[in-house]
Amino acid sequence: MRSPSSLKQEFLKRWMRGLQRCTSSKKDMNVLERKKVIKLSADLAIASARNGTTSWSRALIANASRDNDNRILAERILGPESDILIKRVSTSVGTVSCNRKIRSKKILKRSCNSVRRVRKGTHLPQKVLAKSIAKRLVQKRTQILKRLVPGGEFMDELSLIEETLDYIAYLRAQVDVMRCIASATELINHD
Amino acid sequence: MEPNPGTLAGSISIRSDQEEAGFESLQFREEIQRLIAVPPENASSFTALLELPATQAMELLHSPHSEDGDPAPLSADSLHGISDDHKSYISSFNGNLAFPSNKALVERAAKFSVFASGENSPETSLVPSNSSANLEKVKSEPAETDSNPNSSQPLISDPTVESKTQRSAKRKEREKKGKGCTKKSKNETSKDAQKLPYVHVRARRGQATDSHSLAERARREKINARMKLLQELVPGCSKISGTALVLDEIINHVQSLQRQVEFLSMRLAAVNPGVDYNLEGLFATESGSLVESNFPSMVAPLVCPEIPFNGNRQHYQQQWHFDALQQPLWGREEASHTFINPENSLLSYDSANSASLHSNQLKMEL
Repeated sequence: MRSPSSLKQEFLKRWMRGLQRCTSSKKDMNVLERKKVIKLSADLAIASARNGTTSWSRALIANASRDNDNRILAERILGPESDILIKRVSTSVGTVSCNRKIRSKKILKRSCNSVRRVRKGTHLPQKVLAKSIAKRLVQKRTQILKRLVPGGEFMDELSLIEETLDYIAYLRAQVDVMRCIASATELINHD
Repeated sequence: MEPNPGTLAGSISIRSDQEEAGFESLQFREEIQRLIAVPPENASSFTALLELPATQAMELLHSPHSEDGDPAPLSADSLHGISDDHKSYISSFNGNLAFPSNKALVERAAKFSVFASGENSPETSLVPSNSSANLEKVKSEPAETDSNPNSSQPLISDPTVESKTQRSAKRKEREKKGKGCTKKSKNETSKDAQKLPYVHVRARRGQATDSHSLAERARREKINARMKLLQELVPGCSKISGTALVLDEIINHVQSLQRQVEFLSMRLAAVNPGVDYNLEGLFATESGSLVESNFPSMVAPLVCPEIPFNGNRQHYQQQWHFDALQQPLWGREEASHTFINPENSLLSYDSANSASLHSNQLKMEL
């Protein structure tokens, strides 16, 4: 059902609508503000397209509505259905924050254990050393990935990978659509 | 042993003569169809996703040079059977599947098909077809696994030894499987794991059998399956082995995509000082399928609304449809390339150029 082209169409429609709602009021914006508006409306467009089914979309909306000045903008962009969406997002975010405390304790415990193990094993065989090194590398990279994917800090590996898959698909669609429109407008404005 | 790898390996990789490959594919296709009779109905499960790359890989491998004909109907059919979340991935790497790196892909596909079928068909019936599908598919038969009494003999015609550097890791795993007639049927999908109360995993020979390590192994297999999907999605990742490096590539890809979005939004902001995003009328009249194919005709009215664009619309539709199909294949450039590449990615834009020039001429006249 959600082939890339239909994803792009959906994204484009929502994005245009959001931009329209936003720019109808303010006529004189400098470049930075406009850029922010464009990006924000794009993010919200795709996030609302997922309708809270994926975690990163929820995190995007949550981030957008966190600081107050963005919140007004976000609400306006999302339009009439914004409060439903935001309500749904906030309920899910509440559970996330509870999980956060539990997870942070687990992470602390795990890191302590791993440090203890490594210190003991200065004379460990090569294989185990290599394994621990590899594990540490992978852990470092998953940390980075968690920071990249919105809302990814509080997920276990499995769901993190799923979210990344979805997020990459969305980013690609966004880049394609934006590139099309940008080049189209440039070409037309060129002459 | 030297000529054998060439002939038999060639039969599974892309070759000009299709008969041998056809025969192999028939055999294997039978196996696959027998094994995965049930999963395609379960459209929402992960197995539908997993096994489809296998069948698609087979199709695409044996008709490698058919660009539009074969992958398009394949994608049309296969897209129906997949859950919503994963369709975008399938169609996005449909093109990628036809590219070289076949042996690894086929191996992986074989593994997936085996695992995908494993959770639905009963364990015992899976066993001979499991090891046989694996062994036959991968086509490297070290001498040790020839001693595997049950299933290898009737199926493998001549044992071959592939290049060890390629196959050593996989072979070790299969040796483990083959040695004590170890049977391993497991449930790899997370969604089905949620549905089923138990995860059926049988311990491999020489591994701990307590529930903790079993569960952890099942979990790790799930993670590996997802990682492989990610590898296929991110371009250039399928050749890399090792989780850390693959994660590196994924991180780079996500970062570059995010940077591209930043640049593009900046570009859009700079380009449109006075654009009135008045698209209500356009969206009301046009059907959904035409929206994407009408980018220029939508944007142009924003800038010069008084010009009738109906005549050019047909022209644009074809071009943009082609372009939209090509974008997924090209959209991999680094951020620095986005400024240089709009002309490249819009190869089909030549006639569109002339049309827009024409429209601007009209504007000048008015």
